Amino acid sequence: MNTDAHERARKLIALAGPETLSAADRPSDQRSSNAWLAAHLETCASCRAFAENAAQTIHGLRAIPIAAERSLVSTTQIRVRRRALELRRNRERLRLVSVSCTAVTLCALLSTVVLWRGFEWLGERAQLASSVWQVGFLVFCVMPALVAAILLLAKDRHLADHTGSYRG
Amino acid sequence: MSSMNATAFYFESSMAQESTEIARGLRRRDADLLDRLIEQYQHRLLRYLVYLTGRRELAEDLFQETWIRVLERGHQFNDKYAFSTWLFSVAHNLAIDHLRRKQPASLDGLLNDNDEDAPFDVPATGRASAFDLTVQREQSEHIAAGMQHLPAEYREALVLRFQEGMSLEEIASVARVPLGTVKSRIYRGLSALEPWLKGAQL
Repeated sequence: MNTDAHERARKLIALAGPETLSAADRPSDQRSSNAWLAAHLETCASCRAFAENAAQTIHGLRAIPIAAERSLVSTTQIRVRRRALELRRNRERLRLVSVSCTAVTLCALLSTVVLWRGFEWLGERAQLASSVWQVGFLVFCVMPALVAAILLLAKDRHLADHTGSYRG
Repeated sequence: MSSMNATAFYFESSMAQESTEIARGLRRRDADLLDRLIEQYQHRLLRYLVYLTGRRELAEDLFQETWIRVLERGHQFNDKYAFSTWLFSVAHNLAIDHLRRKQPASLDGLLNDNDEDAPFDVPATGRASAFDLTVQREQSEHIAAGMQHLPAEYREALVLRFQEGMSLEEIASVARVPLGTVKSRIYRGLSALEPWLKGAQL
């Protein structure tokens, strides 16, 4: 008997699991590899010993008691519930922000159309060139953002002057 | 034979139904369902993590993190597979991430730094000291000691195969390795434990 046969037998034993290892349960006619293994075990004492050891090892493995403590379980449950609540709040906040953004976009689109028409009408009434009232419209649209940016920059500058954080 | 087939079909369909319900609950982030799942898988998950990491404290931290991850990524669970397989793969990934944060290495790094720590300590059963119980306890102690000296990937393969009763394919999916690697790890792991069992028999 060569070493390949022993290795094959041992691999079959290891991968078969404990259910098929005992002599009573060992299948001899189901599949060719099992039949081969059964025949091999009949003649090979060392592989038989390996099978018995494997069965005992697996049994021993299963007998090692590792249990979660009650406190670990309850702490986990509390943490999970807290995180679920946090996620739900975040989702609601995100939904609110999405709805607000959509509403603002729609309002902006509508007001742009209305303002455009308004500027067009004013330009015609004042007999202005179309480029003039269009520039006026652009300035009018950009103005709020421009003013806000200037104010914020001024505020930062003011704070920097008083705290000295921007001074080299 | 036909009744056996019918029973097998019944179990398969009830398992599939359970997986579907779990998937639905996880998509809703149902806290009650998670409470139930934590209760149901508490010992199995902790045992897996203790074997994987070799450290009880770390295993307990990862246990909590695993359930948080299950809550956050529950929508990724595919109900075609068993929940336990997905749960263990989440735990596996967390353990790997934890290790990578500490040191860029493989699971080998999860080997115990300190052999005096005994995360697989076998507590006394508290039952009558019958001879077979004593022998069994002694065997388990030796195997537990042997487990501490095995590489983490062997421990993982052994616990998933022989304690969780997973198929080789399921283990490959949890550990994200080829089937051949799983087979080799189980064989080598079991062979490496043999001397420890013999130690118990001396």
